[in-house]
Amino acid sequence: MTRYVLRRLVQIIITFFLFQTLTFFLLYAQPGDITDQYLLNPNIPPETRERIRAELGLDKPPYLQYIQYLRNFMTGNLGVSFSNYPRPVIDVIAERLPRTLVLFFTATVISFYVGFALGKILAWRRGGLFEYGTTIFGVTMYTVFTPWFALMMIWLFAFKFDWFPTGKFITPSFWRDAPVSANEVFHRMIYTGIAGGVVSVIAYTLLRRVPPPLRYVAGWLSVGIGALTTIAPWLRSPLGPYALDIIWHMILPIMTLTLISFAGTMLLTRNSLLETMREDYILAARAKGLPEKVVRDKHAARTALLPVVTSFVFSLAFAIDGGVITETIFSWPGMGLTLLSAVTQEDIPLAMGAFSFTGILALLAHLVADILYAYLDPRIRYT
Amino acid sequence: MGGKRLMVLLAVLLVAAMVLAACPQPTPEKIVETVVVTKEVEKIVKETVEVQKIITKEIEKTVVVTPTPTPEGAYVERAYRQAIFEDLTTTNFWSAYGPDSTVWNYYVLTNFYPSLYGYSDQRFDWVPSLAADFPTELEQEGDYWVSTVKMKEGATWSDGEPITAEDVAFTANTALELKLTDNWEAAYDPEYLDRVEAVDTYTVKFYFKKKPGLSRWQFGSAMAPILPKHYWEPVVQEAKKALEGVDPNDEEAYNKALEDARKTLYSYVPEGEPSGGAFVFSKWEKGAFAEMTRNDNWAFKGQHIVEYANGAYYEEVPGWYEFCAYGDCSGDTVLDYTVGPYVTSVLFNLYGSQDAAVLALQKGEVDFLLNPLGLQVGLAQQLEGAGGFKVIRNPSNGFRYLGFNFERYPQDIKEFREAVAYLIDKEFITQRLLQGAALPVYTLVPEGNSFWFNPDVPKIGQGMSREERVNKAVELLKAAGFTWDKEPKWDPDKRAVDPGEGLKMPNGEPMPQFEILAPSAGYDPMRATAAIWIEKWLNEVGIPAKANLTGFNVIVQKVFVEGDFDMWILGWGLSLYPDYLCDFFTTGSGFNVGKYSNPDFDAMCEEFLGETDINAARDKAFKLQEVLAEELPYVTLFTAPIVEAYPADTVQFPYTEVLDGIQNMNGMPSSVKLLK
Repeated sequence: MTRYVLRRLVQIIITFFLFQTLTFFLLYAQPGDITDQYLLNPNIPPETRERIRAELGLDKPPYLQYIQYLRNFMTGNLGVSFSNYPRPVIDVIAERLPRTLVLFFTATVISFYVGFALGKILAWRRGGLFEYGTTIFGVTMYTVFTPWFALMMIWLFAFKFDWFPTGKFITPSFWRDAPVSANEVFHRMIYTGIAGGVVSVIAYTLLRRVPPPLRYVAGWLSVGIGALTTIAPWLRSPLGPYALDIIWHMILPIMTLTLISFAGTMLLTRNSLLETMREDYILAARAKGLPEKVVRDKHAARTALLPVVTSFVFSLAFAIDGGVITETIFSWPGMGLTLLSAVTQEDIPLAMGAFSFTGILALLAHLVADILYAYLDPRIRYT
Repeated sequence: MGGKRLMVLLAVLLVAAMVLAACPQPTPEKIVETVVVTKEVEKIVKETVEVQKIITKEIEKTVVVTPTPTPEGAYVERAYRQAIFEDLTTTNFWSAYGPDSTVWNYYVLTNFYPSLYGYSDQRFDWVPSLAADFPTELEQEGDYWVSTVKMKEGATWSDGEPITAEDVAFTANTALELKLTDNWEAAYDPEYLDRVEAVDTYTVKFYFKKKPGLSRWQFGSAMAPILPKHYWEPVVQEAKKALEGVDPNDEEAYNKALEDARKTLYSYVPEGEPSGGAFVFSKWEKGAFAEMTRNDNWAFKGQHIVEYANGAYYEEVPGWYEFCAYGDCSGDTVLDYTVGPYVTSVLFNLYGSQDAAVLALQKGEVDFLLNPLGLQVGLAQQLEGAGGFKVIRNPSNGFRYLGFNFERYPQDIKEFREAVAYLIDKEFITQRLLQGAALPVYTLVPEGNSFWFNPDVPKIGQGMSREERVNKAVELLKAAGFTWDKEPKWDPDKRAVDPGEGLKMPNGEPMPQFEILAPSAGYDPMRATAAIWIEKWLNEVGIPAKANLTGFNVIVQKVFVEGDFDMWILGWGLSLYPDYLCDFFTTGSGFNVGKYSNPDFDAMCEEFLGETDINAARDKAFKLQEVLAEELPYVTLFTAPIVEAYPADTVQFPYTEVLDGIQNMNGMPSSVKLLK
């Protein structure tokens, strides 16, 4: 296993290098550069534009720029953003990443949980009204025109019912006198989320040793302990209300993202489970007289989980990209809009920085998925 | 099977419900009240008189109740909430006026920096701001042309420090010494301006290397922003450390040192910077909102402004100063209001899309939308339909145009360009194709820029029928020596052109096919539509044009960098002072990409740019417009008005008719009144 992981890490580094090279030259192949904006401003003489180009290093040949970029990247320097001059790229990403992570990670987890739970039920209750209804609803949502649907959600729940805000991640009037920035609260939310997850896993691992009749309770107990670890610090914190404000703003986009994407996981789980149910060991489990729930959750679902877990891990990795449509409609500027504007404005350092994060996470996600495979399916062994 | 059918039915109903939900019917705001009408009727009976009381049945009557008008001058003091669509990129004004010059930074940051002179409301007269009066005439003093400005005494920064000549000199000299780029270079042009000196606390003197015209002096340096010296001096000193020990004669080393110095200056994040405007910057929550709060030390608070029908301009701050210019300050007024600010603060709320912002406006979460492009037509209609919103349309200071490449024969032939101009039916494009979403433009100075607009410039083709246009174009082409194998003719039966074929140029060669570069529909449907129709009209007379709808960046690259193009369609956003006429068409100018060259025009431009008298400059600008309308290096096409909306019962602006809309005045934060 160790040899396998090491081999994969070498592959990842080579792939990442190719990815960087391809991305850089694709971005460079776009017509013009960021200083083209000055071409349309009579107040900026052409000599000034040339000077700015030289200042940004755009007057050098592309291969020299690339070598310079790689050299900087190796030393952890992602350069300076052209469109936020002279802010370092890492600063811009650090500012926008937390709010993207909080929204899209949460939405991805909820969407997968809902999809997986419904998929299990669908596979087990075939041919019923519930299956037809859920499938049609899920597929409709999956194929709906996202900008329109997101706007409809805002119109219905924010405008007509006035249950949620029309967008943004905070209420300006509430945050005017806030003692800290929203990013500070986002950071803390991420830390407590990670802490909660770790505590849940530890609690679950320990409580699994509890004898079988109490194991079910143990599962819920671990979830409870995790939740308590997450929530408790906020209850007494002066930042609690601010975190609550962010969560209130998250509800509508998460609802929308979940409704749009849960069907993918649901159908994947359903199909995977239907395949698994044909296996002999499921028949054997049933023949032993095990309860249906146990057969489904303990025997069938674990095997059926494999493709779903892979899909989930990849989705988590790409959650860093955010989503241009969601970020635009819900006024939640994050990595998606940053990447889009960096590319359209030809801010190559910023675009490369954002792509690099995505690339690294996507490649690591593949590795994690492979390792998880071995953990979830004892039949798989890497040599 | 029954279950399946039910599911299908449910699915159809779901989709139908969504579609219905998407089409909310706008309903006017009305209050329905039930009115019991009691009616007494006298019934006259023969011989005997009896009075019978009849109670009619209860009826329902719809009464549209108009809200009680707010008393004149009444307003509530609260935050004025404006929607913006992109976040700030900096709060450092050196950077915002330099490399980070986005319109969104401008909307917020330009509220804090005063200038010696500014534009008046609506008419855009050039009027003193921090200056006490107009500057002295330019006069030669040694090698320099100099002008002196006396400043008003009593204006202070928000921290109570006086705004003095030292601040003006510091700002200008910093820009010059560090060779700040972008707008700084335009404001304090190092080719003209040598230095600025504070003669005494309230007198400032500008030294020019050569005689500046209006664009460099009055509409340039004199209108540039002024930053507080006492706040920025240590930062500038720190930045200048990069220059220490570097030999200015070593160009490469010195330029590198200047670059480092600028980086240091631009990187500084100001905190607690004093403001010289009506508001002080107070908070920036990145990705969400920015806020500025009222500056209680603002000297111009309560300023009274009057504009007279005779062209005169008057302003006063009671107990401080009075100023009158451009005529006799008496008689009929066209504008009369008192500056606030009437709001406690201004919140700039960031929205990702206009749709979301319009919903927020309808919900009352924001009071006004700041957008340089204005509202989309559909959203403006949505607000009009919703009721309670005032939708305003103002001309924009810009135009879309078709440009010719004079280096590509036969585009250098005047009659050819004229023929093209006649063939383009701007009224058809704007009224029929674009359904009134744009207005035709005939000159290079849009009509909205009334002081500089020449109303006598001939409007080529205006009001002509298709037949007349075709006949005129054929006549012009023939006169220039063009011939056809088959000449185009108007067919009165078909009411269409019988297209021309085999067009030959005056040199006898067949006219080659050429390309009209235009932005694709995804970027600008208006220009894309115009390009397609222009192609069609040119083809009708045998001119083998082909519209190439492509990416904006591709056009910019081909036209402005590579110079590889035939004709192109793009647009310009313009300044008020029309020196762009010369930037666009003077021989050798970097913006004269079509390579139009006319020595007479160049000479006229030189005179215009060197002119220091505004009325004389106006006459010259008029002549330039006439020449360009005749020479046609561009065929101006149309301009899209700026459409804006606000809740009429909540927001009150002192005026709403203004070039480029209220957004151009940053949403008028210092004079808007909020009624609830």
